[in-house]
Amino acid sequence: MSEIPDAPAGRLRHGMAALRQACRQIVGIPDYERYLAHMAEHHPGEPVLPREEYFARAIDRKYGSSGPRCC
Amino acid sequence: MNKLFSMLLWPAVAVVGAFAFAALALGRGESVNAVWLVTAALCTYFIAYRFYSKYIAERVLKLDDTRETPAVRHNDGMDYVPTNKWVLYGHHFAAIAGAGPLVGPVLAAQMGFLPGTLWILAGVVVAGAVQDFIVLFASVRRDGKSLGEMIKMELGPVPGALALVGVLAIMIIILAVLSLVVVKALTASPWGLFTIAATIPIALLMGIYMRIFRPGRVGEASAIGVVLLLASIIFGRTVAGDPTLGPAFTLTGPQLAWALILYGGIAASLPVWLMLAPRDYLSTFLKIGTVVALAVGIYVVAPKLAMPATTRFIDGSGPVFSGTLFPFLFITIACGAVSGFHSLISSGTTPKMIEKESHMRFIGFGGMLAESFVAIMALTAACVLDPGIYFAMNAPTAAIGSTAANAAQVISSWGFTITPDMINQTAKDIGENTILSRAGGAPTLAVGMAQILAQAVGGKSMEAFWYHFAILFEALFILTAVDAGTRVGRFMIQDMLGHVYRPLGNTELLPANVFGTVLCVGAWGYFLYQGVVDPLGGINTLWQLFGVGNQMLAGIALLLCTSMLVKMKRERYVWVTLVPTAWLLITTLTAGIQKVFHSDPRIGFLALAHKFSDAAAQGTLLAPAKSIEEMQRVAFNNYLDAVVCSVFVLLVVAMCVFAVKICLQALKAAQPTAHEIPALVAPKAVMA
Repeated sequence: MSEIPDAPAGRLRHGMAALRQACRQIVGIPDYERYLAHMAEHHPGEPVLPREEYFARAIDRKYGSSGPRCC
Repeated sequence: MNKLFSMLLWPAVAVVGAFAFAALALGRGESVNAVWLVTAALCTYFIAYRFYSKYIAERVLKLDDTRETPAVRHNDGMDYVPTNKWVLYGHHFAAIAGAGPLVGPVLAAQMGFLPGTLWILAGVVVAGAVQDFIVLFASVRRDGKSLGEMIKMELGPVPGALALVGVLAIMIIILAVLSLVVVKALTASPWGLFTIAATIPIALLMGIYMRIFRPGRVGEASAIGVVLLLASIIFGRTVAGDPTLGPAFTLTGPQLAWALILYGGIAASLPVWLMLAPRDYLSTFLKIGTVVALAVGIYVVAPKLAMPATTRFIDGSGPVFSGTLFPFLFITIACGAVSGFHSLISSGTTPKMIEKESHMRFIGFGGMLAESFVAIMALTAACVLDPGIYFAMNAPTAAIGSTAANAAQVISSWGFTITPDMINQTAKDIGENTILSRAGGAPTLAVGMAQILAQAVGGKSMEAFWYHFAILFEALFILTAVDAGTRVGRFMIQDMLGHVYRPLGNTELLPANVFGTVLCVGAWGYFLYQGVVDPLGGINTLWQLFGVGNQMLAGIALLLCTSMLVKMKRERYVWVTLVPTAWLLITTLTAGIQKVFHSDPRIGFLALAHKFSDAAAQGTLLAPAKSIEEMQRVAFNNYLDAVVCSVFVLLVVAMCVFAVKICLQALKAAQPTAHEIPALVAPKAVMA
């Protein structure tokens, strides 16, 4: 997560982005921006998957063989 | 300052809670406000969380934030992701809360609101939340391993294999019973069926949108999906009234069962991005939104509980399900009090996302409290209904007949006064032709929710909309569960078949996949169809079978937790898991044995099977069977149910023997013998 900007408009945008990210994670939607941030932080310089490819893989992994959901 | 606040706050919560319980317990003779029930529940949760979960976290488990969690150790930005505590709480809650906490409490409402409430609250604090929390802890300390793998690690390979068989059997039964809930809700309901059917093209459209038109734009696709869903509810009324479309969407139970079986087979074979993923997103949005709306609705409307605290049906003669309060209340309400299925979630994706060990208290224990709250609200919604309406909706046709006049007469004779006009008016208010014998929980809850939400928003004229909204909300995540569950079941079947004949275990091979899918759908489809044509209404058989299985799984998970505590040399705290384990074993084994051997054919599978096979041998027909072949089929199905139930009972007994053996060995050992992965100290903690 980037630093919090000073200007009110910037802060609002930052808050909206954080809220959107939280919603995505709660529902279990793959988060491409978070993946990019992860790659930039932990594997700088390595090639990253394009958005389409990332989504295709993340969804296949999540539902491919993951454990059962609840009653 | 903080300390002073805490010293004032907790006694205040305790006083409010005690006051709410007093209002519930002492309000004899006059109806109690539902707000008291919800408040009593909330106070119980807060106190249990503040004190008991803290005790478990600090003394029993000794959570240690300096240990690296799997999410930190294996952070790959995909599966293993350290996740914000609050976000993960939401995610975990959405994964554990399904139809279970909505259906069980509604069925149990036949005994009055008090037995169900007390079991939900006591069960969640002593058993359910403890199980979820400690299984999560066990998995995090073992690199996010699944329940089956952990049982193999701690109890041995044979118990591990037995547990897998048990999990598969429960999966099959759960898929059958959830499908049965949908069939019961949609039989002869063109409006309902249209809106549910519409979710299929809507999900496909969303899937294609997210994959091809605007890859990865889930938010846009979901917004479109929600708008189309609401439109389909509104348009459904027109379809139901249409002279050609209306009858086309009016299906019988067996027709719907076949439709669902076909749907399950096809849906589980499609690529996940096309239908499963988009529908899962939609249903999660709806699930969280509706639960919040219902909680707000109850506080805003403050409805009175029309159901008495206890009814005469605690003696076991109830029309919704048969059997006495002990043990059957404790297997009818599984999710919401304690659910074995959660042990699979707590050892699934959640442990791979825990950022710090201390977060497990909030997510594991606290997450289960939220599910319990959903169960309390479902119970409230059912008890807000007029008891006469409740029994009209939940008693089988065999008991109350198929006309409003007959039903009103029978139900009034039970002591719940109701007129045929009231039954017909309720059906008219919700835009349905009939409300009789719609067992299964979903329709009852939908009527209760519609009455509460319509009082908050829209008034009487909106009741039909809210009813179909509630049906849609439940059916949507049940269908998602059917789809996802069939896939998981297929993987498990293929995994087992692979040991017999290797190519069958190859999940890349199309014929092997098709074979696995057909086996899985065939298995749950068989139980579903049997439930639909069951003379006692199906729910009476299948929900109880599910309850026995689910509580058995909870028993197994708690046996694992108990063994783990002993192996960690924390035996002085072992009562924390031993008490709920003992209670679950007592109730599940009693219920399981009664379901198999009870002499009353309304309860015992064998007694009912004998009744039908004996009558068939003498050539007499018993309703609702219409031929000797049908009689023999009812007998066969009940023998089969007896076998499944016996398997559950034997499994839990075997698991108990293994656990006792392991515990005795561990007690003798001088050192801890649990197979935790060695503590890696988080680098940040070293630096600090």
